[in-house]
Amino acid sequence: MASPDITSIEVLRSQLAKAIQLEHATIPPYLTALYSIRPGANTDATQILRVIVVEEMLHLTISANLLNAIGGKPDLTVKGFVPSYPATLPDGETDFTVGVGPLSPETLKAFLKIERPAMAPAGKSRHVVRKSDDHSTHLCTLPEDATLRYYSIGEFYAAIRDAIVYLDQQAKAKGETIFTGDPKRQVTSEYYYSGGGKLWPIVDPASAAKAIDLVIQQGEGKTQAIFGDSGEIAHYYRFLQLDKNRYYQQGDSPENPTGPALTTDWSAVWPIATNLKLAALPAGSELYDAAVAFNSAYRQFLALLTRAYNGEPQVLLDAVPRMFEFRNLIQQLICNPLPGGNGNAAPTYEI
Amino acid sequence: MTSSPRLENFVAFSAQITAFNKVEIWGTGLADVYLDTIDGLVGAAVTDALLDAFAPIATLRSDAARTDRLRLEVFGSERLGPVARAIVKLWYIGVWYPLPSTWQEQFGPTARNDAFVPTPAAFVEGLLWPAIGSHPPGAKAPGYGSWRLPPNIPSF
Amino acid sequence: MSPFVKNPNRPDLAALQSDSDYDAIVVGSGISGAIIANELAQAGKRVLIVEAAPETDRTYEGYTEYLNHFYGQSAKDNQSPFPINPNAATPRGSELRKLDPLETNSSSYIVQSGPYVSDTVYTRVFGGTSIHWEAKTPRMLPQDFKTQTVFGQGRDWPIGYEDIETDYETAEREMGVSADVEDQKYLDLKFRDSYVFPMRGLPPSWLDEQVAQGIDNSQVELYGERYALKVRPFPQARNGIPNPAYDGGKGFEPTSAVASHQIDIGGRCQGNTNCVPICPVQAKYHSGKTLAKAFETGRVDLLSQAVASKVIIDDASGRVTGIETKVYHHVSSPAYKTVTLRARLYVIAANAIETPRLLLASGLRSKSGLVGRNLMDHAYLLNWALMPQICGTTRGTSCTSGIVDLRGGSFRRSQAAFAVDIHNDGWGWATGSPSTDLVELVDDGNKFGRDLRNAIIDRVSRQLLLAFMIEVMPSESNRVTVDPTYKDPLDNMRPVVSFAVPEYSMRGAAYARQFAKTLFARLGAEDHTHYDPSNYGFIAYQGDPYEIRGGNHLAGTHIMGSDPSTSVVDADQRSWDHDNLYLVGAGSMPTIGTANVSLTMAAIAYRSARKIIATLNH
Ligand SMILES: Cc1cc2nc3c(=O)[nH]c(=O)nc-3n(C[C@H](O)[C@H](O)[C@H](O)COP(=O)(O)OP(=O)(O)OC[C@H]3O[C@@H](n4cnc5c(N)ncnc54)[C@H](O)[C@@H]3O)c2cc1C
Ligand code: SF4
Repeated sequence: MASPDITSIEVLRSQLAKAIQLEHATIPPYLTALYSIRPGANTDATQILRVIVVEEMLHLTISANLLNAIGGKPDLTVKGFVPSYPATLPDGETDFTVGVGPLSPETLKAFLKIERPAMAPAGKSRHVVRKSDDHSTHLCTLPEDATLRYYSIGEFYAAIRDAIVYLDQQAKAKGETIFTGDPKRQVTSEYYYSGGGKLWPIVDPASAAKAIDLVIQQGEGKTQAIFGDSGEIAHYYRFLQLDKNRYYQQGDSPENPTGPALTTDWSAVWPIATNLKLAALPAGSELYDAAVAFNSAYRQFLALLTRAYNGEPQVLLDAVPRMFEFRNLIQQLICNPLPGGNGNAAPTYEI
Repeated sequence: MTSSPRLENFVAFSAQITAFNKVEIWGTGLADVYLDTIDGLVGAAVTDALLDAFAPIATLRSDAARTDRLRLEVFGSERLGPVARAIVKLWYIGVWYPLPSTWQEQFGPTARNDAFVPTPAAFVEGLLWPAIGSHPPGAKAPGYGSWRLPPNIPSF
Repeated sequence: MSPFVKNPNRPDLAALQSDSDYDAIVVGSGISGAIIANELAQAGKRVLIVEAAPETDRTYEGYTEYLNHFYGQSAKDNQSPFPINPNAATPRGSELRKLDPLETNSSSYIVQSGPYVSDTVYTRVFGGTSIHWEAKTPRMLPQDFKTQTVFGQGRDWPIGYEDIETDYETAEREMGVSADVEDQKYLDLKFRDSYVFPMRGLPPSWLDEQVAQGIDNSQVELYGERYALKVRPFPQARNGIPNPAYDGGKGFEPTSAVASHQIDIGGRCQGNTNCVPICPVQAKYHSGKTLAKAFETGRVDLLSQAVASKVIIDDASGRVTGIETKVYHHVSSPAYKTVTLRARLYVIAANAIETPRLLLASGLRSKSGLVGRNLMDHAYLLNWALMPQICGTTRGTSCTSGIVDLRGGSFRRSQAAFAVDIHNDGWGWATGSPSTDLVELVDDGNKFGRDLRNAIIDRVSRQLLLAFMIEVMPSESNRVTVDPTYKDPLDNMRPVVSFAVPEYSMRGAAYARQFAKTLFARLGAEDHTHYDPSNYGFIAYQGDPYEIRGGNHLAGTHIMGSDPSTSVVDADQRSWDHDNLYLVGAGSMPTIGTANVSLTMAAIAYRSARKIIATLNH
């Protein structure tokens, strides 16, 4: 195995904390795009986005299980955990940004990039050097040196997978293991809202590898296959259906889905501002207060998740009604016109 | 939704008669749909009269004072009262209930005379449900097991 | 698991007519028909399902259309999601009115010949009434199977609880029942030692808790015996948290929504509080989930928009030789083609009104003369009140808990047993709340703004509706008949129903009213119950007013027994008179006790499927 980037358990923990941040970082863009759809319109896009959001929550939980398994402590309330949008993600030699905005052909393009990361060509380094010349949040950076990024999200996860194997082998040589976490901190299927059988306790390299594979498979597909082992369609292809205006079914080639047709009416979307910040709202207005109220509801939700990931898995069941509560708050913001005719408001996710 | 002064007045009036704030009224996404519906039913002249009657009331400081004046000049008006009551019901449950026949005899027939839902979203956005800390049946589901907790009835 | 649906349609009528290679024809795509079709298909048999309704909701889009239709209706009666289809009409409560003595009302699809007018319904869409049902799934009590022997009332079943206990388990697996076994062990109900339900029980509502705090462990006395009361959760066929201990530790995977592409919705109930008339996410079981598996085998075909109109019999052998079926082209036109469909064996699973209707319209009364007789349905008596405290009414599944302590006991010698539902959806069923409350507060109460908002909280969030589901025993004069005077647009005779609520049930109703008053007193709840003499369900009994509502639990019109002279089918639901004909459904049940009928109906369908497969293999 190539020499891993992650050479100590502490670094592995910090990289897993970044994985949690990364999995979460996709939720605000997806959620906002989902709720930007006008009521009754675009039922196909709605279903597709909804499922993906639910699975991103699952991935978030899996990353927390991974961190817990090696004795770490997930914390979704640390400053900077929620990126300042637009956030920057690596895509091979170049970066791309993902923001909070309405569903549109452009947002769909960014979503496709998130879900189908390019892997470094054989023989090429999985790192790229890039100067941080802006203030946006950069995800998928290397340990210690934030100017170094992984080539892609895929490489970021591959490095974690390699490190788990590598570090556990080293530990085994000393008669130890890196899986020192309390198994009671693992969140299992019965606490998770939807999706039976997809959360298992992570206790050894095998269960950890299986978990990482699930995250990767649900995202980009299993070695480019449209459907994963459980017959489930990968996020990348779910999104691609919106581009191809047709559903995939078993046996299809990526170029040519043959399932039922679908259509997206890109105009049946509320004209919400992209990457809106509180500063753009008149201070003291009802609208400002509503945006602040949303952010504080979201902060409470992250605090609940943190508890769920720190030994109180049953709290996840109570967190679920919260998620529905802010669906209502987001929809409310999205229907409100911004002063001055600049489209509609949106959640700002300034946590 | 593009805003206009008339629509903004309608939102302010709606907020006052439902006890929801303007962000919540806009937040239904239905203010323009409802204003169009009402104009179509009773004629823009009646709606304008309603909004004009509310304009001076809107400037009053205390809610109690606004309520008193609304009783006298809007809800107690032969012409405006039944329309205002229909608007309250529309916001709360998403159904336009027909105006009394006496109103139609005196002020002219409305374009439709049956109870109807202007758009499926109207039912889903009914204010009655958030008022009682609940959700409309069949929509905005609050999540598995949420029903075992006490209701979260918003203060206002 | 989210089942994909294959397209199973066979539109080629000519080819279909000459296809004599089906092992079975199943009429009806409800729970009963779906179970039979799927069991047969899994056993390698070839099946044709004949369904009167269009198959639009077989896909997710069609199903979603119902939902939009539902949102868009100003009066949300319980059939409102389902469009009007005169060619295969569905009864609707809104069509009913009170009858004068000896009057017959034929303006509704079911011709009501009285004296009592029932607002009971079923739904003729793909998936039958299961699209619409509430999905409560209690088992019958062991004592319910032998009420004649034990209480001198009703009839005994030819089989007992022990005979169908494993079929109950199979039905609970297929329908995905959520319940905790500890909660369900009461009276004489028993479960296999290691048994757990597929999914954990749904949490009781906050309203349930408030009622429980007021009445748990209090007692009532009835005919000298004391009964302790307790609020208990009901088993429900809707997806909850899978129980890891299910199936000897193998666990359970819930079946989510059916669609022609992957949507992954409905894996768990979200509390839409709209189980009746339609669950938006399909967390509630409907027979489309079973049918999706059946279609997956490739051995089950579907002929939709096809109304079975005559069962053709060979006079010499008494065997069925075909089913004459009218296939219409569009719901808005009565134009149709008639085809005769053939198979080795025939299963009619069209429900307890439509199955006897079809038989009687075919001139088949059975030697016992009992086809259509012994019509049963639970009699519902509603009682409603305002709790002293805010209870958060209108949240949760339609009903999570109830009081079941009077489902059984020695009092059943004299009066009907009942189960009580605590309705999470408030007074809606009784009064049309909350829209009626709103209209009253605004129009009569002159409320708006803050006053209105406060008044709405006060009026709706404290509502408590107790629905008493009262047992009705079989009686030959309660019946479905046909009459050539009353036909539908396809020239099929419509069902004519004559029904009277038996005295035994009215004694139960009278006690139910008294019991409700006792509970309200214990809870400090304000009784708002009133029964309106102009309502079609109004009954004066011993000088007191009652309104009896239909229970939608239609049963008993082709009753099962061990003697061909006093029953229509045997314990396997095979017709005594026609040995390749099975009448499958709640119509076969000799009594219904105080259990919503469908779980038991599903259990006996599994029993019949075994018999049918054995016969076909013979
Ligand atoms: C509001 C409501 C709530 C309910 N709640 C519960 C509950 O909580 N628990 C419970 O156990 N039960 C409940 N029920 C009852 C339950 O729905 C029925 O017992 C069950 O669905 C009946 O299933 P079935 O397959 O026998 O008949 P159905 O579901 O009625 O299916 C019959 C099928 O046959 C078709 N058909 C009819 N005639 C013909 C013909 N001539 N040719 C071709 N096809 C035909 C129909 O279109 C239909 O698809 C409820 C019912 C209602 C209406
Ligand atoms: S409460 Fe809602 S999600 Fe649950 S079964 Fe009923 S309608 Fe479906």
